[in-house]
Amino acid sequence: MAWIEFEGRRVRIEAGDTVASALFRHGVRTFTRSIKSHRRRGLTCLTGDCANCLVRVDDEPGMRSCITPARDGMRVEREGGVPSVERDLLAALDRLHPLLPVGFYSKTFIRPRLAWTVAERLIRGATGIGRLPTGVRPRISQVRHLHVEVLVIGAGVAGLSAALSASEGGRSVLLCDEGEPGWLVAPGPTIERICSLAEAVQRAASITTLWHHAAVGIYEGPLVPLAGPERLVHVHPERVVVATGALESLQTFRGNDLPGVWLGRGAARLAGRHGLSPGRRAVIVAETAEALEHLGALGSSGSKLVAVVASDEIPAPTAGARVIRGGAVMAALGRRGVRAVVIRTERGSERIACDTLVLSTRRFPRDALLRMAADLPPSGEAVVGAGEVVAPGCSLDEAEQSGALAGRGEAVPISEPPAPGLGAEGLVCPCEDVSVADLERAWEEGWRSSEILKRYTTATMGPCRGALCGWALAAFARARGADALASARTTARPPARPVRLEQLAAGVHEVVEKRTGLHHLHVSRGARVDWSGRWKRPFTYGDWRDEHRAVRERVSLMDVGTLGKFLIGGPDGRELLERVLPCRVESLEPGRCRYVVVLDEGGYVMDDGILCALGDGRAYLTSTSGGAERMEAWLRGWADRWGLRAHIVDRTSALGAINVAGPRARELLSRLTDDPVDASAFPYGAHRHLTVAGVPCRAIRVGFVGELSFELHHPRSRGFELWTALEQSGADLGVRPHGLDALDVLRLEKGHPYLGQDTLPDDHPDKLGLGWTVAMDKPWFVGRVALQRMRELPLERRLVGLELDGDASSLRGMPLALDGRVVGRVTSCALSPALGRSIGLGWLRAVDGGFPQVLRAGSAQARVVPTPFYDPEGVRVRA
Amino acid sequence: MGLKIPCPRCGPRPFSEFAFGGEVRGGRSPDPEGDFRRVYLRANAPGPQRERWFHAFGCRRWLVVRRDTVTNRIDPDEGDGLD
Ligand code: FES
Ligand SMILES: [Zn+2]
Repeated sequence: MAWIEFEGRRVRIEAGDTVASALFRHGVRTFTRSIKSHRRRGLTCLTGDCANCLVRVDDEPGMRSCITPARDGMRVEREGGVPSVERDLLAALDRLHPLLPVGFYSKTFIRPRLAWTVAERLIRGATGIGRLPTGVRPRISQVRHLHVEVLVIGAGVAGLSAALSASEGGRSVLLCDEGEPGWLVAPGPTIERICSLAEAVQRAASITTLWHHAAVGIYEGPLVPLAGPERLVHVHPERVVVATGALESLQTFRGNDLPGVWLGRGAARLAGRHGLSPGRRAVIVAETAEALEHLGALGSSGSKLVAVVASDEIPAPTAGARVIRGGAVMAALGRRGVRAVVIRTERGSERIACDTLVLSTRRFPRDALLRMAADLPPSGEAVVGAGEVVAPGCSLDEAEQSGALAGRGEAVPISEPPAPGLGAEGLVCPCEDVSVADLERAWEEGWRSSEILKRYTTATMGPCRGALCGWALAAFARARGADALASARTTARPPARPVRLEQLAAGVHEVVEKRTGLHHLHVSRGARVDWSGRWKRPFTYGDWRDEHRAVRERVSLMDVGTLGKFLIGGPDGRELLERVLPCRVESLEPGRCRYVVVLDEGGYVMDDGILCALGDGRAYLTSTSGGAERMEAWLRGWADRWGLRAHIVDRTSALGAINVAGPRARELLSRLTDDPVDASAFPYGAHRHLTVAGVPCRAIRVGFVGELSFELHHPRSRGFELWTALEQSGADLGVRPHGLDALDVLRLEKGHPYLGQDTLPDDHPDKLGLGWTVAMDKPWFVGRVALQRMRELPLERRLVGLELDGDASSLRGMPLALDGRVVGRVTSCALSPALGRSIGLGWLRAVDGGFPQVLRAGSAQARVVPTPFYDPEGVRVRA
Repeated sequence: MGLKIPCPRCGPRPFSEFAFGGEVRGGRSPDPEGDFRRVYLRANAPGPQRERWFHAFGCRRWLVVRRDTVTNRIDPDEGDGLD
């Protein structure tokens, strides 16, 4: 025997039970409390469309119990209500309803301003349903992408038939449903039709089915996300058939939200599928032919039918019950649930004692998805409806026919939804406790269109997203003479069905993780490896100060294989570079290299790197690790535009790179190579081919860290042997690797900015003190015109070197203040081991035409000083 | 149908494989005079416009398409595929 745990009690569950049916059998009638007035709410639709049965299941709040299958061991609790849903002291709020009119908060808490801060806390405590689980690790959802020709949403009669006809000729079809075919339908002719169609679907080879996946929206593309139990599925179909059916309308009368008021299909399902009678004495409102089926189901479940309020088109139902023709429900009375209903008859009004009121009323399309699509030309043209969603109240044959046409992509007959009549009392929007009277008051105040009424009263903003009340709101405006636009349905927006927050975040964790060829080596050396952009890189191998010392005093290795690396050749290769780079490319002799900044068309610094001139007119260009992909696209874009015959070969992942840096770097290299590495043969600013430990390398002599250094670019597959050879033969020199933590301080001591960290998107070279990299005497390069114009203006911001008091290593991000005014920000800082004081970089705004020299960063004094801080003459790097 | 971009090399592919490169604003040859217009004056008009896309998760080449900025209807460009 299976059980669920319900508020400390054990509740037996039977085969086919949902959480709702198990609780109902157990005697639960009040499932939740309404959001504002704390009115009792019980089962109503049983199709997942209303918000009257939301419970907490296994700590997940807001679960629709009527469509959540019951499983052994589930923990179920009701939400809302103080202290409990059954005994809710806040229900007193309901009696205060007349004192809390629509717009109450915005009218009441305007003055004094502080009142709202106090009131908000009280109000937030009293309203709303459910608590967010705390201390629970989110279940990270994954995303799956599916490309199909036809997506059919909804596996009712129309949807199944649409899938079948769409699959003719082998077209790929995906059929999804929030549940399974027929799972919400009471026994009867409908379910028989569904079963036979579902069998045919199962046999069709080109139809894929996804049960328990609800379409939450339709986006441009069309793109349809389906929320499933485990993951989110992004469907990219060519065409979409929406067959989401229709929903009975909740009539408006006093007490229309009392537990015991049912929509017809809900009551029939409880009776027919779960064998539970909704109550002992039932009154049924029969507006449609389907009501006869509902009557049958109720009768066989043991409910006694006391009265049938039938419209004239409905044939007289079977004997037993009294038939009231042309009547209408005026009110449902009762406190904990329905005790009696008041019916208006020809002879006046009459009170009938009962505990159940079943509304087998006219149906309105569940058309949120269709309306979303209608706002999306041209993607929306690929979305059509079939069955009741476009022809509410149609017969089974009509639904099947409609699905078949839609599946083939042919036009589907459409019929207007019925015009709903609105009563004078009762709730229009049970989710948000908005009554007819509230709408009337808002209308009187001048809010005279459905969209504005929605915003003012919050009708249609509840968990059901207007499924129950959207039609009524539009009808209300129409009945008062609003024109077509002002009485239109309000805009439908995703999600049409509830989605877990984790599902909204699905996919964000599936980032590309890039590793260099030396990744495992770093890990085996004890490196702390972490994200740096899309790369996983070593930050430290233990003690960054020790690594720093190795670079400054001995020799150290760093994996810089993440740098962008490009080979540029072809007859017009040099010409391309000359045009896109702001420096002189022509004058760079083979064997020499140069630091370059790359400007975008606006004259702003986009990236930087090293340009090496190769012997045969080709060039080798590096970029920052994060800028590699953009650099390739950018170079190609210009080459295409100008029709230049230039080859751009992205070598980023084909080559690895190891920087050998430190005063003893040359000594280490000379042990492993026969090629000359002395200062005269291989000076600073040069690059050479070296064979190091048998590995062919392009060695580049520049120095980001400010020491003698050789950047060895090598075939990625040989990185491991190169690295280990350097480690081994440098053991007596005290060689050790350094990571990003040490690098951050090393480059800061040299005053080198990190693009992106120390810079802003609109930094031109002058603002960064990099004006010297730009050859303005070149007639043209990308960004030149813009830069020239900017240079005519006074510099309004500058990146400056800072010297700070005390240990300022945690001041990154701190505003720079002058007499209490913020005039800049610290972008990098560290306690420099080489200098023994705190240094930093930061940007500074001009004040009265000049740049202030002394500022405050938090409690520390910050003085503007020239950079580099370390070895300003660059003697060490040129060694 | 669908938001697909016709790549002259790879065929129609989902737009999520591409990176947007902005509207085509001339610049087929280096042009100091035209630079100002190209950088600062953008049409940003509703309706069809020629624009550049980079097929980042495909052939890694640029292409030009016509897109209606109101409806997002995308058609191949009749030109030589360059701007
Ligand atoms: S009834 Fe759910 S939003 Fe109005
Ligand atoms: Zn392509």
